[in-house]
Amino acid sequence: MKVLVAVKRVVDYNVKIRVKADKTGVETANVKFSMNPFDEIAVEQAVRLKEAGTATEVVVVSIGPAQAQETIRTALAMGADRGIHVQTDAEVQPLAVAKLLKAIVANENPTLVIVGKQAIDDDCSQTGQMLAALLGWSQGTFASKVDLKDGTVAVTREVDGGLETVDLKLPAIVTTDLRLNEPRYASLPNIMKAKKKPIDATTAEALGVDIASRLITLKVEEPAKRQGGKKVGSIAELVDKLKNEARVI
Amino acid sequence: MIDFAIPELDRLLIETVRKFITNEVQPLEPEVEERGELPEAKMRALRQQAQALGLFAMNMPAEVGGGGLSTVETCLVEEELGKTSDALIRRIFGQVYPMLMACRDAQIERYLLPTVRGDRICAIAITEPDAGSDAAAIRTAATFDDGAWVLNGRKHFISDGDVADYVIVMAVTDRDKRTRGGITLFLVDKGTPGFTVARRQPMMGHRGYGHAELVFEDCRVSPDCILGEPGEGFRLMMQSVSAVRLAHIGARSVGMAQRVLDLMRRHANERVQFGQPIGSFQFVQQMIADSAIEITAARLMVLNAAWTIDQGQDARDKVSIVKVFASEMLGKVADRGVQVFGGSGYSKDLPLERIYRDARVTRIYDGTSEIHRMLIARSVLRDGLRL
Repeated sequence: MKVLVAVKRVVDYNVKIRVKADKTGVETANVKFSMNPFDEIAVEQAVRLKEAGTATEVVVVSIGPAQAQETIRTALAMGADRGIHVQTDAEVQPLAVAKLLKAIVANENPTLVIVGKQAIDDDCSQTGQMLAALLGWSQGTFASKVDLKDGTVAVTREVDGGLETVDLKLPAIVTTDLRLNEPRYASLPNIMKAKKKPIDATTAEALGVDIASRLITLKVEEPAKRQGGKKVGSIAELVDKLKNEARVI
Repeated sequence: MIDFAIPELDRLLIETVRKFITNEVQPLEPEVEERGELPEAKMRALRQQAQALGLFAMNMPAEVGGGGLSTVETCLVEEELGKTSDALIRRIFGQVYPMLMACRDAQIERYLLPTVRGDRICAIAITEPDAGSDAAAIRTAATFDDGAWVLNGRKHFISDGDVADYVIVMAVTDRDKRTRGGITLFLVDKGTPGFTVARRQPMMGHRGYGHAELVFEDCRVSPDCILGEPGEGFRLMMQSVSAVRLAHIGARSVGMAQRVLDLMRRHANERVQFGQPIGSFQFVQQMIADSAIEITAARLMVLNAAWTIDQGQDARDKVSIVKVFASEMLGKVADRGVQVFGGSGYSKDLPLERIYRDARVTRIYDGTSEIHRMLIARSVLRDGLRL
C-alpha cells in the first residue's frame, strides 16, 4: 500500500510574525522556515504505517519554491522513501493545491493520502477536504487516531463534543490533528540516507493544472494591540461591568 | 559566491541534537552537580537512546560504525553538546578519539570498534606532575625486556582515567630521540598488573567525571599494544588532537556561551528593577552586546578552522587561535552571565554557577592560552598571518 503525504514549508512556529510595511502580507525575508507541524505529524504517521508493515512506500509531495525541497528532505530524513517537488514561486491557494495533489494522486495511485489538518501560516484547513471532494474519496479530518484494517480505515476525530470514530472505505484522505502522534527526532543515519533519496521535480504546467489565484488578498494587518486590563474592586462591580459595559452576560 | 549557509540536513541534525539535549540531558544536570556522580542507569538508557538515533561517536568515520560527520558538521553538533555539561556529553554521546583509527589488526576489534559502539571507555594519558605544557618532558618510560614493554611512571589529571576500560599511555622509548622518534603510545587495559588508578583528583568543576592519577609500576604489555608506529607517538598525538581540540574547546565553548547569553537575555527582559526591565540599562546592554559580538566571532572562527581541516589543509595555527579566543570568550561571557543575574547568578539554583566553574579549565587544558599564544606568535613571526 502506497501512502502519499503532502507537506508545506511555512514560517517556523517560533518566529514572531511581522506584517510587511506595505500590508501585502507577512515578512518572510530572513525568517526561519520549517515543515508545517501538522504535516510533520502526517509524515510520522505514514512512516509508522511503513514500519508496521502496513504501508510499502511513503511518498512526500511539496508545492512551493526551490527551498520546499528542504522540507521534502526533512520528511525523507524522518523515513519517507521519495519526494515529489512541484516547483512554483506563485502563491498557491488551497483549491490549487488540492488540484495539484489530485493530479499527483492520478500518477501515483496511493491508497491513503495524509495531510496536516491545516497549515500554521494561513490556517485555511481546506486542502484535505477539497482534495477528497475532487477525488470523490472518503475523508477523515482532524484525526487523533488512525487504525488501518483490510480495505477500510477507522479514524478517530477530534470534534467539538469529544471524539467521533468514522470507518472510511479506502482509498481515503486523512487530515492529522495535534494528538495523533509525536513526531520523531530524525536520526543521523536517516539524515545521511535522506541525502541519497530521490526527489522528482515537476511543475503545475507539466501536471496540467491551472493554479491561478481565485481569491485576492486586499490587505494584511496586525491584530489590534491588546489594551491594558482594569482592576475591579468587588464581585458586584465585576458583574455590573460584564452586564452593562461588556454586555456579555 | 561563497556560501555560508548551513545545509538543510545539517540543520536537521542540529535540531535533533538540540531537542535531545534540551529534553533529555539538561534535566539531569542538577542531580549530577549535587551528587558529583552520574546516575548510571539513566546514563545507560540515554546512551542507548542516543545510539538509536545515531548520535554516538558522530565524529568517527562511518566505516567503523561512527556518524561519519565532517569536521564542520562535528563542530556544529558539538556546539549543541556544549549546552550541557562535559560529564554528561562524554557518557551519552561518547568520547571517541580519532587517534584510535591508528589501531591495527587485533587492536581494531579490541579497542577501536567497542569504543565506537560505546562498550569500552578510552582515556588518554599524557600529562604528568612534571610535564604539563611541556608534554615532551614526560618521564614515564617504556623499556623492552624479554619480549615485553615495561612501563614505569606516573600520570595525572587524566580525564576519565578512573572509569576508562583502557588508557592510551604516552611513554618515552628512546631518551635521546624523545619527540623525534623516541615517544610511543601504548594501549593499556585496566587491570593490567602494575597499572593502578591511584586516586580521583578533586577539581573546581567538572562534577560527575573524574580526573585521575594513574601509576605504572613494572607494568608489562606486549608489543601488540603499541598504537601506531613505535617512536611515532608524539607525532600521532599532535596530528590528531587538532580536530578534537577544535570541537571540544572551540565549538563547545560557543554552545555554552550561547546558553549563557540566552539566559542573560531572558533575565534582562523579565527582571524589573527601578520600574523597568534591567535590559533597558546600558550597563546590562553592554554585557549582552559584547557577549553577542564575541560569540559570533568565535563561532565563525570555529567553522572556518573546521572547514580548513575538511580541506585537508594544515589548520594548527587556526585551531590555536580558536582555542585561545573561544575559551577566553567563554570565561568573559560566563562572568557577565553571573553579573547580569546578580545574587541568583551566584547561587547554585541556576546552571550559571556551574558553567562559570566549568568554563575556567578551558583556558588551561588542551594547551594553556599561553602555550597557544606562543605557538601563534612563533608561526606569525616566521611566516606572517596566513588566512
